Amino acid sequence: MKRVWALLLLFTLALAQTPTGEPPPDLSPEVFRIASELRCPVCQGESAAESNAGVSQEMRRQIAEMLKEGKSEEAIKQYFVERYGEWILYAPPKRGINWLLWLAPAIGLLVFGFGLWRYLAEARRREAELALSEEEIRALERRLEEE
Amino acid sequence: MRKWIYFAIVLVLGGLFWWGMQRDPGELKSVLVGKPAPDFELPLLSPYRAEWGERFRLSEHRGKPVVLNFWASWCYPACYEEAPVLEAGWRKYRDRVLFFGINTQDKEAAALEFVRRFDLTFPQGYDPRGKVGIDYGMYGVPETFFIDAEGRVRYRHAGAIEAADLEKRIQEVLR
Repeated sequence: MKRVWALLLLFTLALAQTPTGEPPPDLSPEVFRIASELRCPVCQGESAAESNAGVSQEMRRQIAEMLKEGKSEEAIKQYFVERYGEWILYAPPKRGINWLLWLAPAIGLLVFGFGLWRYLAEARRREAELALSEEEIRALERRLEEE
Repeated sequence: MRKWIYFAIVLVLGGLFWWGMQRDPGELKSVLVGKPAPDFELPLLSPYRAEWGERFRLSEHRGKPVVLNFWASWCYPACYEEAPVLEAGWRKYRDRVLFFGINTQDKEAAALEFVRRFDLTFPQGYDPRGKVGIDYGMYGVPETFFIDAEGRVRYRHAGAIEAADLEKRIQEVLR
């Protein structure tokens, strides 16, 4: 029993630990919020907030410095866009060809829905074609009886 | 009709695949191409101070094309492969082109060991935070920027640079 209690205590202590990914005390959560919307340039699918690559650490430091200088979130993002292009933004700006990206899930769903509707309609039509009317069934039964 | 639609889909997907395969992953087009190279000032690593001074400011060296190379001692093997190529390029073109190395996100002792190992004679700046790299929209070391005599970025090479590429890009900025 004692052992169970010890284990339970251990688990509660583990739960009390700060989860990883929470900002270290020297940078404000605001820095991490902005960094989470920027790509880490050297990683695959990681934001500048999650990554511990040197370049991401420096990006967070620069964000903190720019916030201290009183720069707005937009201005900070623009700073990185001017250097890396719009690629650096996790959410591509909603204009021009980018609309295609934003609408792609809806378009995909529509195409899928249309395909499904066509398929079901076709299946129903075939079923109706193959189905025999009452009269035909009776005629067939008669023929069977005759033979 | 249906056959043609399938054929068109295969053709489009095949075309996209072919286009993707043609692209050179080393040719990461920088948004800076055609724009003025961002200015910076960095302290020089100790072996270069006697000849070049304590600090190096890019804008003080206008009038000559610049080959700007970002590297780090931990970048193995790419940085180790290209170091002798860059040094040979510098020795060949030093009177017409300025080469400048930026040691980025590194320890000073390791950087000094690296420049000694390859006997690098072109000036080397020290940027432990990697601030200049971000200013140039750098993805990862090594990267080499070619800046013309007017101070405009003309080309960015990602990854270790080979002698033929270096020669070709230098000829372009000299033109």
